[in-house]
Amino acid sequence: MPAWFWLVPVASVVALGAAYGFFREMMKESEGTETMARIAAHVRAGAIAYLKQQYKVVGTVLVSLTLIFCVVAYVFHMQNPWVPFAFLTGGMFSGLAGFIGMRTATYASARTANAARRSLNAGLRVAFRSGAVMGLTVVGLGLLDISIWFFVLTHFYGTNDAHQVVVITTTMLTFGMGAAVQSLFARVGGGIFTKAADVGADLVGKIEAGIPEDDPRNPATIADNVGDNVGDVAGMGADLYESYVGVILASAALGAAAYASSGATIQLKAVIAPMVIGALGTLLSVVGVFFVRTGEKATQKQLLGALGRGVNGAAVMIAVASIFVMRAMGLENMWGLWLALLAGLLTGIAIGQAAEYFTSQGYAPTQRIAAATKTGPATVIIGGLGEGMMSVAIPVMAVVTGIGLAYFFGSGFSFGTDTLSLGLYGIGMAAVGMLSTLGITLATDAYGPIADNAGGNAEMSGLDPEVRRRTDALDSLGNTTAATGKGFAIGSAALTGIALMASYLEEVKIGIQHILDRGLGYTFPDHFHLASTATDQLQSLNLMQMMTHYEVVLINPKVIIGMFTGAMLAFVFSGITMKAVGRAAGQMVDEVRRQFREMPGIMAGTQDPDYARCVAISTKAAQREMMLPSILAIAAPVVMGFIFGVPGVLGLLAGAAAAGFSLSMFMANAGGAWDNAKKYIEEGHHGGKGSESHKAAVIGDTVGDPFKDTAGPGLNILVKLMAMEAIVVAGVTVAISLV
Amino acid sequence: MSTYLYLSLIPEALVASMLAPDDFGLYYAIGSAKRSRGQAIFFSVDRDKIADAGFPLADVEARCVAHSDGRPKSSLYLSIYRVLERIPRDALTALHLATDDGRVLTIQPQEFVADGEERTHLYQEICPVTPRIVSHLNPAEFAGFITDTDRNVHVPRIAFTELTLGNLKNDPDHHDIDNLPYPNIGHLRDCLRELAKAPDKANKTVLRQMTQEVLFRTIRNGVFIGDSTGITAFPLPTRDTLEREHLAWWRSAQSTFGQ
Repeated sequence: MPAWFWLVPVASVVALGAAYGFFREMMKESEGTETMARIAAHVRAGAIAYLKQQYKVVGTVLVSLTLIFCVVAYVFHMQNPWVPFAFLTGGMFSGLAGFIGMRTATYASARTANAARRSLNAGLRVAFRSGAVMGLTVVGLGLLDISIWFFVLTHFYGTNDAHQVVVITTTMLTFGMGAAVQSLFARVGGGIFTKAADVGADLVGKIEAGIPEDDPRNPATIADNVGDNVGDVAGMGADLYESYVGVILASAALGAAAYASSGATIQLKAVIAPMVIGALGTLLSVVGVFFVRTGEKATQKQLLGALGRGVNGAAVMIAVASIFVMRAMGLENMWGLWLALLAGLLTGIAIGQAAEYFTSQGYAPTQRIAAATKTGPATVIIGGLGEGMMSVAIPVMAVVTGIGLAYFFGSGFSFGTDTLSLGLYGIGMAAVGMLSTLGITLATDAYGPIADNAGGNAEMSGLDPEVRRRTDALDSLGNTTAATGKGFAIGSAALTGIALMASYLEEVKIGIQHILDRGLGYTFPDHFHLASTATDQLQSLNLMQMMTHYEVVLINPKVIIGMFTGAMLAFVFSGITMKAVGRAAGQMVDEVRRQFREMPGIMAGTQDPDYARCVAISTKAAQREMMLPSILAIAAPVVMGFIFGVPGVLGLLAGAAAAGFSLSMFMANAGGAWDNAKKYIEEGHHGGKGSESHKAAVIGDTVGDPFKDTAGPGLNILVKLMAMEAIVVAGVTVAISLV
Repeated sequence: MSTYLYLSLIPEALVASMLAPDDFGLYYAIGSAKRSRGQAIFFSVDRDKIADAGFPLADVEARCVAHSDGRPKSSLYLSIYRVLERIPRDALTALHLATDDGRVLTIQPQEFVADGEERTHLYQEICPVTPRIVSHLNPAEFAGFITDTDRNVHVPRIAFTELTLGNLKNDPDHHDIDNLPYPNIGHLRDCLRELAKAPDKANKTVLRQMTQEVLFRTIRNGVFIGDSTGITAFPLPTRDTLEREHLAWWRSAQSTFGQ
């Protein structure tokens, strides 16, 4: 085992230790007054109730799939025997990351509000470091999972045989699928939960009963706050856990394939390089957390600057430190890989900046939507859709530029396809670069809902106006960082999607190997035949040759069918999740109306609403409504592979990635812009609160809610889960396909 | 149980109730079944000072009694139509502004003191008539003008409020309407321009009839009751005081959409 590998478990322990330290530090803070503690306890209880229910459902799914994989692996011998266990641990670690992050967030909100009573900086410190618990737990558990599996598999398979290293890395990829299944449930379920509560609270509480946001008389207000935690903390955490391990493992697999003929030492360096960069980024993220502080009279810009110092500081440090580490590791094409890494970092920053430009009320797009409110809801909707569609251009251009540069640098400064594997490894390294500082970027993301809940707690507890001004400032900042975080998640999905497609072909080769091992021959669609003894011939096939033998060209109807199906799935998945929110919100509306009708003491303030029932309705609705999109995502690659084989699956993945990425950016940015256009009006523009413009903006925001918090973020998981699923069932696809 | 007398402006009525102002405001705004809502503006009335006004006050003792199950009597209408003009200004001991979700702000009367600022005023008449007017006159002058018996068009007593005009108060063409929620701003600008061109013209009607609730956040300096003998002011607390001492009411007032 190369010495550099040990940096990975060390970084994991440091990250988890730091997360525990920040957690302890946060827990030492007081929750404030009795009212503040009571409200926080309601939210905490609701969040735990939701997670219990979700983990029951997702646990059942994970165990069921594990049993299926056991049958495939041990009865039909179509899969590596480690796959079922790797799959299960991925799901478990992802769930654990979400649980810890959400538990922390529900403890942190009242403490943030209470700290804001002392100063803005104290509030920022508590909220941000509680967010850092989530960020560091995600990367810490990710690296721990990777370390354990790499250690175990290398122990059993050894690292001297290049093919065995490929088998190790592609086997490890399957725990990414476990994480992807968990993250789909967390993200989509959380998204449905939070938007059902949010829309229900707004429609009945704010519009019908006329009570303000976060008014404790609104039965859905606790569910709304719970939703912020389960959707934006647990959901986002599980999503990015899956992205993080997916990126590192896909890059490791690409490294194993690209350097398979370079000798064991070089190949192993290429395999552990993404892990080491991830570990380095994690250590520097811990350092970056300490950069985040601000003065008492800080403006919004200075607050943003404070967070930027942490995130950008970590990014600069990783850019510089990685030169020395990659050099010390003695990687081949070291400068090319470093430039690819840098391209990934810059792509991430460009996507984040674009998201901020298109969603912040400080810039023209959101202000144009706000201006459109003067002519009514219809023009607001048209304006938001238009700006959202336009917003896709910069991120897509950033990603394609990043892909192009990373390929060019990774392949040894060439666009030729003779060095395809090396170029793809460069793309993998770019994705690793983008997510290397996830520990701190996720902290800025998880910080948002904590600050949001702190604001709600301050409002409901009737804290001093100065405190509420401080929590408002923190909350407003959280909205901007949330948009940036979503851009990161989506951007990384695009790069990971490409890396996973290459890994898929490697897994296909292993699937063919299983067939050969059973003493059978294998014939490709172009009639190229491999005899049962042709193991070496199979191993010598590079990616381009595999694509040729499978006839993966645009005019192949199997590929075209796959592409159109993939693109269609992105839309259908969005449609299903949007409709799910509509149905769940409808149930919430009915319940809130019922409580107002049957419990007249609520409005008089003499009777507590039944908060728990609203939480239960959102929970059940989320669990029920997420089944169909989950089945769709899990079944699509299996069905496509069963009918149209490898070319169909590759077409499916390409179509879903291209359409899903653009659609996801569109939905996230349009939703964010609608939300902030409403906030812009509430700040006093175009007539302010209570005006006709405000009414139109509220409609825009309500439409945008499921865009930005349910369908949009769910799409990137769809893309990655389908790719992971394809990899896991590649052995079956190779063995059985109808056409 | 005490019994209270209230003068409601929306609608104009004298009401007896066993509910204290905060509870009456809640009841009046959202009803007993809590399914309807609408803001309420009402005054506490000193019963001793309206003894000679001809209201059926004996009904209060006879009919404003608790229900058989012990619940207090919420409202007993004693009179509607031309009520305001029969109640002397000094009988109005407090003003209560109830938001449409039932939060109540209570304001004590004060002597009116003009702020002396040169500006155009925007008045919303609340009772007994409800036009919205732009005017050169300050609140005391405006009340005197509307209740001037020498003019053909007058009322005996008027309840009204001055609404904020923001940047338009001295410049009808100012591009930034900022936080003004009034419908049809273009027409408001036309009225302000017309008034600016005619210094001899005291008032100009913007809306013949109030079509929406008064957004409490737009009240500039309070509610006034005026007649030919003078004016009584019920000034709204400062923004800072509202945020510190009347937070629930202020949040509710800000979130009101109107109907």
